[in-house]
Amino acid sequence: MSVYPRRDTQARLFSILIGMLAAFLSTIPPASASPAETVRIGVLAPLSGPFAAGGSSFLQAAELAVEQVNSEGGVLGRRVELAAADTEGRVDVARSEALRLLSREKVTALVGAYLSEETVEAMEQAAARRTVLMVPVAATAEITDRVRREYGKYRYVFRVGYSIPQWAEILASFLKERGARRYAFVGTGIRWNRELGSALEKDAARSGIAQVYAAYYSPGNPAFDPVAVAAAESRPDIVVLGDPGRNSVSFLVRLREASPGLPVLSVGGALGDARLAPALPLSGPLYVQAAAWKGSSPAATAYVERFEKRYGTPPVGYSDTLPYDAVILLVAAWRRAGSLSADATIAALEKGAFPGTAGTYRFDASHQAIWGAGPGTLHGTVIRRERNGGRIAFPGR
Amino acid sequence: MSVLPQLLLDGVLTGTSYALMAAGLSLILGVVKVVNLSHGAFFTLGAYVAYALSSGGAEYHPAAAVFLGSGIAFAFGVFLGKSFINPVRSHPFSVAVGTLAFALLFEQAAQFLWGPHPLVIAGGAPFAGPLGTTIRPWGVAALLSSAVLFPGMRILLSSRWGLPMKLIAEDEEIAESVGVDVEKTRYLTFGAASAIAASCGALLAPAAAIAPTMGRSPLILSLIVVIVSGMERPWAGFLLAVALGLLSNLSAYYLAPEASYLLLLAAVCALLAFRPAGLAGVGIARDA
Repeated sequence: MSVYPRRDTQARLFSILIGMLAAFLSTIPPASASPAETVRIGVLAPLSGPFAAGGSSFLQAAELAVEQVNSEGGVLGRRVELAAADTEGRVDVARSEALRLLSREKVTALVGAYLSEETVEAMEQAAARRTVLMVPVAATAEITDRVRREYGKYRYVFRVGYSIPQWAEILASFLKERGARRYAFVGTGIRWNRELGSALEKDAARSGIAQVYAAYYSPGNPAFDPVAVAAAESRPDIVVLGDPGRNSVSFLVRLREASPGLPVLSVGGALGDARLAPALPLSGPLYVQAAAWKGSSPAATAYVERFEKRYGTPPVGYSDTLPYDAVILLVAAWRRAGSLSADATIAALEKGAFPGTAGTYRFDASHQAIWGAGPGTLHGTVIRRERNGGRIAFPGR
Repeated sequence: MSVLPQLLLDGVLTGTSYALMAAGLSLILGVVKVVNLSHGAFFTLGAYVAYALSSGGAEYHPAAAVFLGSGIAFAFGVFLGKSFINPVRSHPFSVAVGTLAFALLFEQAAQFLWGPHPLVIAGGAPFAGPLGTTIRPWGVAALLSSAVLFPGMRILLSSRWGLPMKLIAEDEEIAESVGVDVEKTRYLTFGAASAIAASCGALLAPAAAIAPTMGRSPLILSLIVVIVSGMERPWAGFLLAVALGLLSNLSAYYLAPEASYLLLLAAVCALLAFRPAGLAGVGIARDA
C-alpha cells in the first residue's frame, strides 16, 4: 500500500485548506480608507490564549472610550480610531505586534499591554519609536524604574494603573479595615504575583497583619487541591487571591470545598466578571478589587452604566476601567497640548491633572499615576460579589 | 486531624483524571502511530458540551454530557482522522503541525461561540468521606469511569473486535494481509480516542473553569503518561498517572506548588533515562 495520499484525498485536503484560508482572509479587516483624517491609537491586549478574557474586556473599554471621544467631536478636528493587536499573552508576540502597530499601522500612541512581561517589551518599541505608551494594567516596578533611571529614553511611558507598592498599600488598607490579623496569599507563578506577594507581606506586617501561607502555583500543573487544603489549614482570616486568569475561578471552587465560609479577596481577573457570579460558590464573602465601581463617583457610575448598555454586562472594574481611562487621558492630553506630537503630549501629561473614571490622575517623576490609600491619591475600590452583581465594600463610608 | 488522607485521596483522583485523558492518546499512539496534539481540544469540546447542556438553569447531568460530547467528538475525530491524519500520517512533523493547528482553530472557534471569559458549572456539593476527607463528585466520576474504561480497553484489545487494532499496533502489513481494513480501523480509532477525551472533559468540567485554552495542561500531562507507559499495558498507564498525581499533590503541599510540576517532569525524565522505551519496554537496553 502506498504511503502517499490518493489523488482524491489530496484534492479533498486541498479544498479544505483553501476553505480554511478563505475563512481566515475573510476575518482580516479592510485597510483604513483615510488614515490622514483620523488619529490612530494602537491597543496591545491578549485577545486569544489564557488571558483572553481580560484582554477582551480591555479592548471593549478602549472602544467605549473612543466612541465617547468621537461623540465629543474627536481630537483636534479628527476622529479617533483604534488599531487592535492580539499579544496572545506572549512576550515575543507583544514585541512584534507593537512594532507592527508603530511601523505599519502608523499609530500615534499605544495603550497596553496586559502582562508585565509583555509591557516591558512594548515599552522598548515605544521608546525606540518615540511614541507615547499608556500602561493601564501591568504593575511591575521595572516600568517606572526605567523611566526614572533613563528618563531621556523612556519618558514616553506613563502608567495609569497601580504600581506594585500601590497595590500592596491598597490591599493592606483593606485587610486592616476588615480587621484581618492573618492572611494567606495564593496566585499563579507569574512575575506580577511574586512581586505583589512580597510587597503585601511587608505592608501588612506594618499594620500587624501576618502572612501565614503563600503559594505560587505553576500554570502547567496548578495543583489546586493541595494548595486549597494548605491555605485553609493555615487558618487565615482571609485568602488573597492574585491571579489574572481563569485559574482564580478553579481555585475558588476548590477553596470553598475545603473551607466554605473563608473570605476571599481576588485582586481582579476572572472573578470580577459579573457573568460568572450566578455559578460562583458564594458560601463565604468574595471580594474583588476594582479601580472604580458604580457609586464610587458620578463618573464611575456613568462609565459602568455606559459599559453595561453597550455590552450587556457590567465591567470587571479593573482591567477595563483603567484602559478606558488611559484612552480618555491620552486624548485629554492631546487636546490640552493642542498637538499630537509626543513631546507636547508628555509635557501635558507631566504638568496636568486629568479627570478620569477612577478619579483625578496626576503623574509623579517616574510617570506613575498616584494611587494609594492616603489623602490626595486615587483610591482603589473593593466590591463584594453577590448573586445579582456587587456592592462597594471598601473604602468604608 | 491529619490532612494526609485528603492529600492522598486528591492525589489519586488527580492521577485518575490524567489517566482518563491518556487512555485515548495511547490508543492513537499505538494504532494510528501519531502524536496527536489536538487531543486537548476534544477535552475542551466535552467541557463546553457539558456547559451548554447545563446552561439556562438546567442541572449538570454527567451522563447526558458524556453521551452528547463523545458523540460529537467521535464524528469530528473520524472526519479529522479520515481527511487529514490518514493521508499525512507517514510525515510525523506534518501530523504534529496539523493537529496543533486544529487545536488552535478549535480554541478560536470556542472563543467565537462562547467568548473568552471562563465559564463555570456547579457540579454538586462535595460530601464527607472516611478519616475526615472531603470527596468531590467529579473525582468519584473520574474514578468510576477509569474502573470501567481500563478493564474495558483490556477486554476490547484481547477480543475479536479489538483484534484489528492490536494487529495494526503490532504489524500493519500482517494486519493488511489478513484482510483488516487498516485505514478504516485507524480513523475509527482516532474517533473513539477523541470521544474518550471529550467524555473526560464532560466529566471533569465542574472541576475547572471552562475556557478555550483549558485543554492545554491536560494534553501535556497525558502525553507524558502515554510516552512513558505505552499502549500495551493500560494498567501501567493508569498506575503511572496515579503515581504522578500523588507526587504532584504531595510535593505541592509539603514542598511548594511551583516545585510540584518540576518534580513531576524530573521524575519522568529520570524514568526515561533509565528506561528509554518507558514502562512498556521492560528489559530494553538504553541507546548507546
